[in-house]
Amino acid sequence: MNYITGYYTTKFGEIWEKSLFDLVKEAITGVLKQTNLTNKQIDAVFFGNMLAGVLENNLHSPSKISEILKVNIPIFRAEAACASGGAAFNLAKNYLDANRNKNVLVIGAEKMTDYSPEEAITGLSAAASGEEQEAGLTFSGLYAMIANYYLEKYSYSEKNLAYVSVKNHFHGSLNDKAQFRRKITVEDVLKSAYVAYPLKVLDSSPISDGASAVIMTNNPDWVKKQKYKAAVLASEVATDTISLKERKNIDEILATKIAANNAFKNAKIDRTDINVAEVHDCFSIAEILAMEDLGFWKKGEGGENIIEQPTMFGNGGNLIVNTSGGLKAAGHPVGATGIKQIGEIFLQLTGQAEKRQVKNVKYGLAHNVGGSGGTAVVTILGI
Amino acid sequence: MISPVKIWRRQKEIRKLIGKKGRVVAWTKIFTPGSDFKKYAPYPVVLVELENKEKIYGQLVDHEKEDLKTGSQVISILRKVRASSSDGVIAYGVKFKPL
Amino acid sequence: MVGIVSYGFYIPKYRIKTEEITNVWGKNYEDVKKSLLITEKAVAGVDEDSLTMAFESASSALSNIKIDKSKIKAVLFGSETHPYAVNPASTILAEFLGIEKNYLAYDTEFACKAATGAVISAQALIKSGYTDYALVTGSDKGMGKTHDTLEYTAASGSVSLLLGKDDLILEIMDLESFSSDTPDFWRREGIRYPSHGGRFSGKPSYFYHIESSAKSLFKKTGLKPADFAFGVFHMPNGKFPIQVAGSLGFTHSQIQDSLVVNYLGNSYSASALMGLMPVLEKAKTGDLIFLCSYGSGAGSDSFVLKVTKNLNKRRKEFKTIVDKKKYINYPAYLKAMEMI
Repeated sequence: MNYITGYYTTKFGEIWEKSLFDLVKEAITGVLKQTNLTNKQIDAVFFGNMLAGVLENNLHSPSKISEILKVNIPIFRAEAACASGGAAFNLAKNYLDANRNKNVLVIGAEKMTDYSPEEAITGLSAAASGEEQEAGLTFSGLYAMIANYYLEKYSYSEKNLAYVSVKNHFHGSLNDKAQFRRKITVEDVLKSAYVAYPLKVLDSSPISDGASAVIMTNNPDWVKKQKYKAAVLASEVATDTISLKERKNIDEILATKIAANNAFKNAKIDRTDINVAEVHDCFSIAEILAMEDLGFWKKGEGGENIIEQPTMFGNGGNLIVNTSGGLKAAGHPVGATGIKQIGEIFLQLTGQAEKRQVKNVKYGLAHNVGGSGGTAVVTILGI
Repeated sequence: MISPVKIWRRQKEIRKLIGKKGRVVAWTKIFTPGSDFKKYAPYPVVLVELENKEKIYGQLVDHEKEDLKTGSQVISILRKVRASSSDGVIAYGVKFKPL
Repeated sequence: MVGIVSYGFYIPKYRIKTEEITNVWGKNYEDVKKSLLITEKAVAGVDEDSLTMAFESASSALSNIKIDKSKIKAVLFGSETHPYAVNPASTILAEFLGIEKNYLAYDTEFACKAATGAVISAQALIKSGYTDYALVTGSDKGMGKTHDTLEYTAASGSVSLLLGKDDLILEIMDLESFSSDTPDFWRREGIRYPSHGGRFSGKPSYFYHIESSAKSLFKKTGLKPADFAFGVFHMPNGKFPIQVAGSLGFTHSQIQDSLVVNYLGNSYSASALMGLMPVLEKAKTGDLIFLCSYGSGAGSDSFVLKVTKNLNKRRKEFKTIVDKKKYINYPAYLKAMEMI
């Protein structure tokens, strides 16, 4: 059995004074301190990052991390657009399944604010197909197309999507590492400017910097000594076409469905057992789709279900979603998000979530998506 | 600058897609574009299902407001598609206009 | 006999009114309208250029006839707003049209007569037996400096002609060309907007060359204006063609239909050819048409064209297409012309 025994995240936001590898260093130092591990006790490192090569011609991260950690161990980078963090975690978990008594460090990081919004947007559209880029479809444009299609098909309006952002901003106000700490209303969302119709600024996750790291181990003696630990019950990756137009259905992310089905099968638990979940809300519509595709809600009912805010902290629901603030309020430094999500579930399961601690949590789920649904990673943790 | 080789390869495909009729199956309107598309913003992008069931993306141009909806009948035309640099090869590609 | 087998034209959807422009610069609309006789002009969209417009007009020219494209062994692209300073648009056009690859392609430039000059070369290539068909395009997204007369006249459009020796709709009975070194309108390398010599582009330029070319052709053929059903002249503005037609001896009713400049502006290489479009909408079998282009720098090509019965089966609607238009305001015009 693999266990997460420590988690550290930098603040997410516009972190002008720190470069990508400054953030990486902070996260590595932080998580080692948390778990009282020295660099010599790490057996391998897995690093998730999407844009460093595209934006700053910055590659060969394994070697850069080797320099920071002052080690000569195997280090690997994973990239799956916004699911880079989740993918790195999955590879780390598979490494532990294949090697006994090891400690791995999994870190996700992204530096986006050194560049103009247009450069960042252009960089992010590398997650889309060539044809999508050629048509001028930005990343927001793709999700906007999905949102427009969904709202039309199930007869919802932009208002239905707004509830997602309202909930996640409320959660962000409870998380001191979140980029946005301010609560917003449905009216605020509806009044914000369009990014790509029907999605508006307040439907969209921001451009952020940040790094998050976890320590995962399969060393039973080591685990026994740990104050905080959560078992990794499942970690599944599934993929689908890069091009939205080639998918079977525009209003679902099939990769999420497949990864979730496999994860629940391996973890041997049901959807109803999950108490907390971090789902991939790069845009408000994405959270609605995630709840449906993960199997928590029926297809098409998400827009209706969200109105009563059953997944909001403090509302007494059985499943609280995105206590970190989600991507929307916590921020979305692309490569870091997948690890932050897993880390947040870890905090919830080990009673460390402070102001946003959900009571009686036993199982949690993290859901990380790449691009418009080309990759999905579902991780289930339990105590 | 976009690679001229990429443009050249792509143009062979573009040729087959011009002058085809289809139906809009999904659409959006981009307000915050990437660098290559700034001069066209805001612009609508449609996903069109052609008569042969193939699906292609393209901006919708020369249209009235009411043309931008699911189900609109459109035809593919040749236009400049991105403006990357004043010294690069010009990228011609597919856009749509209402029938 | 060599001539035109089929034709196509393209006019972009957008128009800007002369009045919209005079309002911006505080000019008197009635004065400007009276002096130029243009009420609105066609404007190509920001994503259109001479190539995309040529593709539209050429596709149209090839759409209503069945020919083996491998028999089109000459593709000539005439423009003064080529997409590239160096790189042929003729090959891009041919490739998109599916014409490949044993053909001669080249781009021509001679201000507003780039295309008609190419017609002369093309018909010679057919006569010599090099090719059965030749595709000639005149296409321009005309530019004019702001606060300059050209701002009211420079417009966008394209006309394509498929020339051949069989199944003609128009026979090229005879032709003439007249050239001299007369710098009335020019654009230097690297400079965005053309410059012109003001009134110098009148008598010593437009009028001198058109009159000389026309008279030369009349002498050669023994024909006179009264023998023609229609006269079509290059249209830099609404006044010049009326004046030159009158001075040559044409009546106003002979040239009336061709005056597209009034509502489309001057589409440079496509201008005279565009004037032919409404004429072909109504010309009858046996009609003689006098076509005379003018290119600054300077020169004039004149043609005697004879309508055959085949025009009836390949005639295209013009007026209804022209009316499918949308007005834009001055900022939208500047955006479309990439001036902002």
